[in-house]
Amino acid sequence: MTGLVATFNGTAMSQGAAQGAHSNTALVLIELGLVFLVLAILGRVAARIGIPSVPLYLLAGVLMGTGGFIPIDAGEEFLEVGAQIGVVLLLLLLGLEYTPEDLKVGLRTTWKAGIVDVVANGVPGFAMGLILGWSVTASLLLGGVTYISSSGIVARLLDDFDRLANRETPTILSLLVMEDIVMALYLPLMAVLLIGASVAQGAIAAAVAMAVVALALFISFRYSRHVSQLVHSHSRELLLLGVLGLAFLVAGLAEAVQVSAAVGAFLLGLTLSGQVADEVRALLPPLRDVFGGIFFVFFGIAINPRDLVPVIVPALILAVITMATKIGTGTWAARRVGVGPKGQWRAGLSLVARGEFSIVIAGLGTAAGVQSQLGPLAAAYVLALAVTGSILMRYADRIPAPAFVVRSRGPGTPGSARPISRPGH
Amino acid sequence: MEIFETPLPGVGVRYEFTAEAGDHVGVIVRRDGKRDIALYDRIDPDSCKGTIELSESDAGKVAELLGGTQITARLDELKHSVEGLAIEWVTMASGRGLTGKRIADGQIRTHTSASVVAIIRGERAIPGPEPDFTFEAGDTVLIMGSDDAVDRARAILTG
Repeated sequence: MTGLVATFNGTAMSQGAAQGAHSNTALVLIELGLVFLVLAILGRVAARIGIPSVPLYLLAGVLMGTGGFIPIDAGEEFLEVGAQIGVVLLLLLLGLEYTPEDLKVGLRTTWKAGIVDVVANGVPGFAMGLILGWSVTASLLLGGVTYISSSGIVARLLDDFDRLANRETPTILSLLVMEDIVMALYLPLMAVLLIGASVAQGAIAAAVAMAVVALALFISFRYSRHVSQLVHSHSRELLLLGVLGLAFLVAGLAEAVQVSAAVGAFLLGLTLSGQVADEVRALLPPLRDVFGGIFFVFFGIAINPRDLVPVIVPALILAVITMATKIGTGTWAARRVGVGPKGQWRAGLSLVARGEFSIVIAGLGTAAGVQSQLGPLAAAYVLALAVTGSILMRYADRIPAPAFVVRSRGPGTPGSARPISRPGH
Repeated sequence: MEIFETPLPGVGVRYEFTAEAGDHVGVIVRRDGKRDIALYDRIDPDSCKGTIELSESDAGKVAELLGGTQITARLDELKHSVEGLAIEWVTMASGRGLTGKRIADGQIRTHTSASVVAIIRGERAIPGPEPDFTFEAGDTVLIMGSDDAVDRARAILTG
C-alpha cells in the first residue's frame, strides 16, 4: 500500500517536473536567443565605431540580470557553464598562439621589462585594494586585473592598423608573452589563496601547483609532437572533438588540483603544436568568440548596475595611474632595444588596453566570493581601459610624444634581430 | 645584402633588409602562410609607409615574378658557358614512367650519362636527391647532360 502511494506520488511529481522542465526549456532558449541577438547587434556597433567588443559585451551583461533592465534567470545555468567554457577556450587559444620557442625567446629577451611590467602595473591595483580595505587576496587579484594587458585587443589592432612590421612590434608582442608566462604562475597561486588555505597549507598547495605547472611545461616542451598526434585527424569534426575533449579534461583536472582550469587550458594550448595547432587556430576562434562573449555577459550579469556607482572613482583613478605606468613600461622596454622615440611612444600606447584576462582574473575572485566590490570595480576599469586603450592605439601617431621619450642609446638593430644570409624557414 | 631576422611571437617571423637604392624593406612570413611586405618610413624608421598583404599563392606568384626569370636567365647563362650542355625540366605524370619508382630503378646515369640534378615537389626544392628517392606524380625533375642524353633520360622518366 505504501509502495503504491509512493509510486503514485512519484509519477505525479515527475509529471509536474516534466511540465516545469518543458516551460523552462522554452524560457531558457528564449533568453539565450535574446542574449545572443544583443551580442550580435553590439558586435556590429563595436565594429562600426572601431572599438573592441569586450567592453560592450560587459556592459550588456551589467544591464541584464540582477537589477538590470532585462532580467535573465532561467538561462543563467547555461550561461554559467558557457562562461566556464569561454574561459577555457580563451586560454586554450592564447596558448596556441605561442610556441614553446616563442616563450623561450620572450623570456630571454624581455625578462627585465617583464619584471618592470609586473611591478609598475600590478602594485597600483594591489595598493588600491589595500586602501579600500580589502583582504590581501582580493588586493592581489586587483593587482592582476591592472597588470595584464589584453593580448586579444592588442594583437588584433596591431594587425588592423598594419603595424606588424613596425620595429616596436616585437617588443610589444614579447611583453604580451611575458605577461602570459606570469599568468601561468599567478593563476594557480591565486587559486590556492582563494580556497582560504592557511599560510602553511597555502605554501604546500602552491608548491604542488607550481610543480604541476612546471611538469606541464616540461611535457609541452618535450612531448609536444606526441600529444599533437594524439588528437590529430583529417576530419575537422574529429579534430574539434578531440581538441575540445582534451581541453575540457585537462582544464577540469587542473581545477581539481587547484591549478585553475584556465591555466590547464593555457598549458594544453602551448603543448599542441605543428599542423594540429595551425588547424585548430583556424577552427576554434569563432567558437571562442561566442563562448567568450557569454563569459563577458555572465560576468556582467552578476553585477548590479547600482554597485558600479561607488567604485567608479577608484576605478577611474586606477585607470589613469595604470595607463601612465603601462605607457612607461612600453616606452622603456622599446627604448632598451634601440627603438626610436616615435616607436617607443607607440609601444607604450599600444599596451594600455586591458580586456579579457583582467576579467578572467576578477572572475576567479567573484566566483570565490572574496570581495563583492571586485567584480564591479574590474568591470568599470576594463570598460574604461579597453575603450581608451584602443583609441590611444589607433591615434598613436597623432598624439605627440612627451619630452621624456628620447632617442635610445641602445643597440642599432632593435629587438632580438639577428643577421642571416638569406631567409629560411 | 644583409638580412635581419626577428621572431614575432604569435605571428611569425620578420625579415628586414636595406635595398641597394636605400629603401628599408621588411617581409613578414606569417605562420598561416600569408606574407606582408612593408616599406619603412625614411623619417620615422620604426614605422611603415605602407604594407602589402599577400596570400600564400599571391606570394608564390610574386616570387616567380621576382626570382623566376632570374633562374631561367642563370640556367641559360650556364648553357652558354658549357658548349653542348642541355638542361631540361620534366614533369612526372601519374602512373607512367618512373612515377612511384626510385631514381636507382631508372638507372638513368648508367644508360644515358645524364644526371638528375634536383626535384621540385610542390613548394619544396630537393637538390641532389639520393638514389633511393621515390618520384611522385607532379614532381618536376631537373636533368642535365648532353642534348642526346637528356632526351633519352626524359624518355625513361616519362615512360
